[in-house]
Parts: sequence; structure tokens; C-alpha cells
Amino acid sequence: MLQRPSALVAIVLTALVVAALLVPFVGGSYAIKFTTRVLVLAIFVISLDFLIGITGLVSFGHAMFFGLGAYSLYFISPQAEAANALVAFPAAILGAGVAAAIIGAFCVLTRGFYFIMVTLAFGQMLFSLFYTSRIAGGSDGAYINVKPEVALFGVTILDFDRRTAFYYFCLAALVLVYLGALALARTPFGRVLQAIRRNEQRVGALGVNTYTHKLLSFVLAGAIAGFAGVLFATIDGYVTPDLFGWRQSGVAIMMVVLGGVGTLFGPILGALLYSAIEEVLKTGSWVGPIANHWSLGLGLILIAAVLAWPRGVAGLFETHAPPAPPGRDQPSGDLQAERPQRGKALAVEGLTRAFGGLVAVNDVSLKLAPNLVHGVIGPNGAGKTTFINVLTGALKPTAGRIRLDDEDISGRTPYAIARCGLGRSYQRTNIFLPFTVRENCLIAAHARHPSPFRLRAGKFAREEEREIVHALAATGLSARADARASHLSHGEQRQLEIAMLLASGARLLILDEPLGGMGAEETGRVTALLRALSVNHTVVLIEHDMDAIFAAADTLTVLVEGKLLAHGKPEDIRRDPAVREAYLGRWGQEIVR
Amino acid sequence: MDLVLTQIFNGLQYGLLLFLAASGLTLILGIMGVINLSHGSFYMLGAYLSLTLTSLTGDIFLSLALGIPIAFAFGAAIEWLFIRHLYERDHLQQVLLTFGLILVFNEVQRILWGTFPHSVPIPSYLSGSVKLFGLMSYPNYRIAVAGLCVALALAMMFVIQRTKIGRMIRAGESNREMVEVLGIDTRLLFRFVFAAGVTLAAAGGIIAAPIESVYPGIGESVLITSLVVVVIGGIGSVRGAFVGALLIGLADAFGKVFLPEFATGLVYALMAAVLVARPGGLFGRA
Repeated sequence: MLQRPSALVAIVLTALVVAALLVPFVGGSYAIKFTTRVLVLAIFVISLDFLIGITGLVSFGHAMFFGLGAYSLYFISPQAEAANALVAFPAAILGAGVAAAIIGAFCVLTRGFYFIMVTLAFGQMLFSLFYTSRIAGGSDGAYINVKPEVALFGVTILDFDRRTAFYYFCLAALVLVYLGALALARTPFGRVLQAIRRNEQRVGALGVNTYTHKLLSFVLAGAIAGFAGVLFATIDGYVTPDLFGWRQSGVAIMMVVLGGVGTLFGPILGALLYSAIEEVLKTGSWVGPIANHWSLGLGLILIAAVLAWPRGVAGLFETHAPPAPPGRDQPSGDLQAERPQRGKALAVEGLTRAFGGLVAVNDVSLKLAPNLVHGVIGPNGAGKTTFINVLTGALKPTAGRIRLDDEDISGRTPYAIARCGLGRSYQRTNIFLPFTVRENCLIAAHARHPSPFRLRAGKFAREEEREIVHALAATGLSARADARASHLSHGEQRQLEIAMLLASGARLLILDEPLGGMGAEETGRVTALLRALSVNHTVVLIEHDMDAIFAAADTLTVLVEGKLLAHGKPEDIRRDPAVREAYLGRWGQEIVR
Repeated sequence: MDLVLTQIFNGLQYGLLLFLAASGLTLILGIMGVINLSHGSFYMLGAYLSLTLTSLTGDIFLSLALGIPIAFAFGAAIEWLFIRHLYERDHLQQVLLTFGLILVFNEVQRILWGTFPHSVPIPSYLSGSVKLFGLMSYPNYRIAVAGLCVALALAMMFVIQRTKIGRMIRAGESNREMVEVLGIDTRLLFRFVFAAGVTLAAAGGIIAAPIESVYPGIGESVLITSLVVVVIGGIGSVRGAFVGALLIGLADAFGKVFLPEFATGLVYALMAAVLVARPGGLFGRA
């Protein structure tokens, strides 16, 4: 998860700011103009990095908001007078933000490659609109005759016709945008965005509406890009449809990747490096006749950079934290809880899920009482995983009702069901691998109050901290709190899944093969943990390990070919003739034993 | 009526050319998992090969016969030099590297051929036009182009449906991971798929050259439109690319006549509409 920049990075950034402050004293007007461009592009690409590196949305059309910001200045500026920047700039930001909300509402529905393509398509639509129509001079572009000024009550405070004044304004803006983006990424909202980038499905299953989070991030990034656009138009007093084009978007991605994705400061270095390379290669007096073919050199440098530094320039500043020491403590379960809480009861009626002609879950009716451990067993292909996918909303039921306590949750989205207090773990370990154990639990705890407008831990901070400490203690992971999830053993990762569910405040836990791939000793520990958890929770357990499930469960449900075959106490199930028949052979032997 | 028929023909013919570029792009993305932004450059390569080879040999079809092996070798070389490093990398790095390739290819083109637009002559025996349905006359060469595209598409279908490498491609089309699990030498398969994709795009550029003029940046509009075709058809689906290319070809041809201001936008609007209805494309897995 994004940390505050290291001391080394802070020193480098401070040195850059100091150097930037000195530019107008040592450089001529060309140097000022060049550096202004770099500052403005840096603002633009920070907004793109917030989208790509923090939220995980790779937009190939981000320049459309940059272009919209630039054109807003053209539309607002009067013919022969200066526009007031106090009006024009907010208008550009607002305009780009509103456009991002409309376009994003659609784009954010798609994922991965399709998202890249849809954003590209919208960018190209806007480009062709401004290119082929006569709006603002069409393909020729248009001039903004008088540059804006900052005026209050008719008094000009800053006149952007003066290069130096505008330069310092842009420098201040860049510093603020960087610090703002960094602070935002470290709020509960920003942490959830980072989690979405790593594993969107998991965040949704914890109870977060990922769509609104992603959309909000898209709008914010669009608005900042609009701000960069209006600054960019102020530099030259000229707008062209190329500002919308896919090349502009592509160059912005180059800068982000060259600098270092997801670091927020990397893009600043990327913008600087990219512009500097371009400038050097273009300058004939430095590189001789090949200056005419500068983009050849630029292309080769980009290719070399990808192959040599996959993590960008920022990767050079990375320090590797030593792995956390191994530690092991006994899971305490819920036993330390001061007063037991009631788990949620689950009831399903006539639940059916069909895939075309195949009925994977067939008319299952079942009541699971609170604060017990319920096992669900059945041979391979019995429909167990489909059953829990329907319960948790990952699949919509074809027919039937699901009730959690008295609330009808059938057909709701996974995040809405999770918010009702139903948490699930997955057959394949499904956690945020690059985050530490504590951060994994923190994301889960944030899901208790998952408003996208939560910018401060605020009044929930203590409650969340208590839940995290409890979840780690309950699962025996306290000593590993600061270890990266990817460094944990398989068994510890399974325990972390349970810890996340506890931290998320779920009252009914559905665990899909929590013992899978565990050795005998670990199995014993986790079985004891599951028993202990039923003090505060209802536990639904799907398992292949027959010994463990018969030892752990209070009731057993047998599914065969999608149908409910039997439901009752383990000793009754063991004697049930129908179950014996279904489990003839190896399984039958195990049960009879 | 005349105009409508002509636009249908133009649309189909443009769509068939697009299919040549888009089919390679969709296979490279579907099977190799690589977003190849430099795909348009291979179309451009074809166009300039056409220019040079036709001036040497005097005939566009001789250029095609010579150009195909050149393009195949070129594609295999590019895969070996650059693309094979991208298989385990994420989308961003693929975008970055292939964007870098575009810059390089564009500049090399400027060095070798300059920035002025050129035209490639239509062979004399195909210079006239033919009367169709007693209603409209249509240029012979455009009909020949459409016929060639269909022939190339059929040849591709034959390779995909009837040969061993085609079976691997089909396996990869439906499940990329499975191909690797089955122990197929993916290095060979990937190099072949990439080189074949390059060849198809270049072949499109070669035969289209006498219709459009040959100019710098010719590849970029083809790239963007082909990406749209891939998305409409569904990633990795050759059939989808075929349907998508014809749809886009027709939309473009009619848009240019009836909605000239929004012709380009129309193509993207079509893609947006398809994605709303079917998020995985027409023939893709959702």
C-alpha cells in the first residue's frame, strides 16, 4: 500500500522544487516556458497515475479531459479581454469533472482491456467532434487572444501574461496536486481504491460498492486533468484538437510508466525525463543532424526503458523492507470476547440455479440456526460451490429465496449482501498479496463504513483498530501483522482470510474449504479456531476433509447432484442410509467408519 | 439507390481490408495476450512495400507475392527482438513498448520514404470499371481487392480449421491457459501467430495502396479502427473480427455520405453501443 515517500525520495523532490524555484533566475524565457510545460504535464500525469496506479483503471483516453479543460478556457475567454482565472479555472475543472462523470458512468462498467478500449473510443469521439466540426476552428485549432488573469473586485492580482508569475503559479499548483493526491491515496477511500486495483472481486465481497469508488476516482482524475488542460492552454494561448487525441493520452501513459506506476511522485520524474529526452533529441546543436529524427531516438529509449526498468525511475528509489520475522501464536478465537454476540441465521427456500439445461442447485430448502458450525458436504460436482456463489450474490438464483435473519437478500449484488453481514472466503486464497497482514484487515474493517466520501478514519478509527487487533488475535496472526501477505505460508494465508472476515464485521461466515492444502497440525489448529468462532458467529463450512468436518460441525448438509439429500446432526448423517448409498466406495467407507 | 449500392460495396470492400488488419490483432491479443499498438505500422509497412516493389516490378500483384514473405520474416524478427519479452508483462508495459515501436517505425518510414504522399498505379488490365446490376458502375480494381481479401480470409480459415497449428490457435482462442498446460511449444506458436498477423496486415496495406494514397501515419487510423473491430467482435474471435470489420466498414461508408461531420464518431458510437449490449463483444466470452 502506498506509504509516505522515503527520506531519499523526499530529498530528491525537495531538491527538484528548489531547482524549479531558481529556474526563472538562471534561465531565459525559453527555459521558463519549457519548465512550465513540464510542470503542467506533471499535474496531468499525476491525475492519470491516480487512475492507473492507485485505482487500477488504465485509461487510454485521459487526454479528453485535458482537452476539455483547455477548450473551456477558449470558450470562456472574451475576444479581446482577459478571462478571470478565478472563474475560468474552476469552470474548466467543473466541466471536465462533469464530462468525466457522464463518460465514466459508462466506461467504469467495463474492465481490463475493454476499459482501455472504451476510454480510447470516447477520447477519439471527442477528438473527431472537434476535428471535423467547425467548433473552435475545427482541425486548425484556435487562439486565445488574451491570457487569463487572477482578478478580485476588479483588481488584477496575477497577470498570466507575465511568464514568471504563471510559472510560479504552476509550480505551486503541482506541489498542491501532488500532496493532495498523496493524502487522498492514504485516506480510507484511497486505501479501498488501492485494494480495488489489486483484487476488485475481494473488495466487493467485503461489502464495498466498487463501481461508485471507481467512478469517483475517474471523476477526480478527470477534473484534475481538466485543470492541467486549462493551464496548458494558458501557456501558448492556443488550443488544438490534438489535445484530445490518442497520442496525447499515449504520451501521458508513457510518462506515468517511465516514472513509476502507482507512486504519484514517479510521474513527475517521468514527465521531466520524457520532456528532457525529447528536448535534447530535438536540439540540433547538441545532437547534430539526427535532430530531425528525434522520435526515432525517443522510441528506442522508451523500448529500452520498458525492458530495463519495468518499475520506472521510481523503482530506483525503492527500498526493500526486510521480511517480518516468523512468529506463531495460538489462535484465541472469539473466546476472549467480553460478551458473546449473536450470529445471523440463514434460511433458503426452494433455491435453484440452472446453467442452461444443467441444474447445479436444485430446489434446496434449508434452515441454519445462529451460532453453530454448519458443514456442507457432497461429492465433487454436487453443486457446493455454486450453492455458496448463489448465497453470496456472485450468481443470481434462478428461483427461490434467501433470508439472512429476517432480511430477504435473494438476487442482491455481492457487496449489498456482504453489508448485511454475510462474509465469505474463497476456495482459492483470495487476499491482497502486496499488502501487509494488517493492511488486509484494515481494508476489511473499512468495509464496515464503505462510503466513498470517507476521507478520514475519524470516529471509526478506534472501532476499526479494535476489530483489527481482535481479528488478528482471534486467528493467531498478531505476530505477523506487519508481514506482507505474499510472504505468508499457505496456512497463514487461509487464516488471514478468516481474519479479514472477522474484521469486516460479518456475522455469518461462509468458508469454502478453509482446510484445503493444510497439514495435520494446521488442520487441528484451524478446526479449533472454527469451533471457537461460533461463539460470536454463525459458521458455514464447505470441506472435503471428512474427519475434520465431522469433528467441527454441529449440523451437516449433504448435497448430491444439486439436490439436498440430508440435513441433520453429524451422528444422524453418519447413519443415514441414503447418504451411505450416495457415498458408496471410498467416501462411504470413510463415513461408516 | 445508386448511391446506396455504391456505399454498400465501398463499405464491404473497406470492411474486408479492415478484417485483414483486425484478424491478426485479435489473434495476437487473444492467444498471446499482447496489446500490439504497433499493428497499424505493419499495414503502413505494406503500403510502402507496395510503393517500392511496384515501382521495381511494375505490377501490384508481383509486389504482393514478394511482399508477403518479406512481411512474414519481418514479423518474426520483431517478435523475436521485442514482443517475446512482453508475454509475462502487464498491459501497461505492452502499451508502452509497442507505442515506442510506433515512434521508431514512423521515423524509419520518414527516413526511407520521406513525408510526401505517394500514389501507386492500378495495373492497366484492371483500370476500368464494370457495370453491376445494370445500375451502377464499380471500379474493377476495387472488386479485385475485395476478391483478394476474401481469398486471404479463406486461406486463413483453412489454416485455422485444417492444420495442426490451426488447432493450437483454436485451442488458444477458447482458453489461453490450456495451451500452455497442454505442453504446446508456445514460443513457436506465438512467433507464427505474430508473423502471420503482421503478414495479413501488410497484405492489406499492399493491395489497398492503389486505392488510398500512401502517406505517413497511414497506419494509425487503421490501428485505431482495427482495435474497435476487435472490441466489437470480441477479443480473440476471428469470426467476430470478420463481422465487426464488415459492420464498421458499412458504418463508415454510410456515415461519410449521410453524416459527414460525425463519420469517425459514428464508428466509436457503434462500439460503445455493442459494449453496452454485450460487454464481451459480439462473439467474445463475457
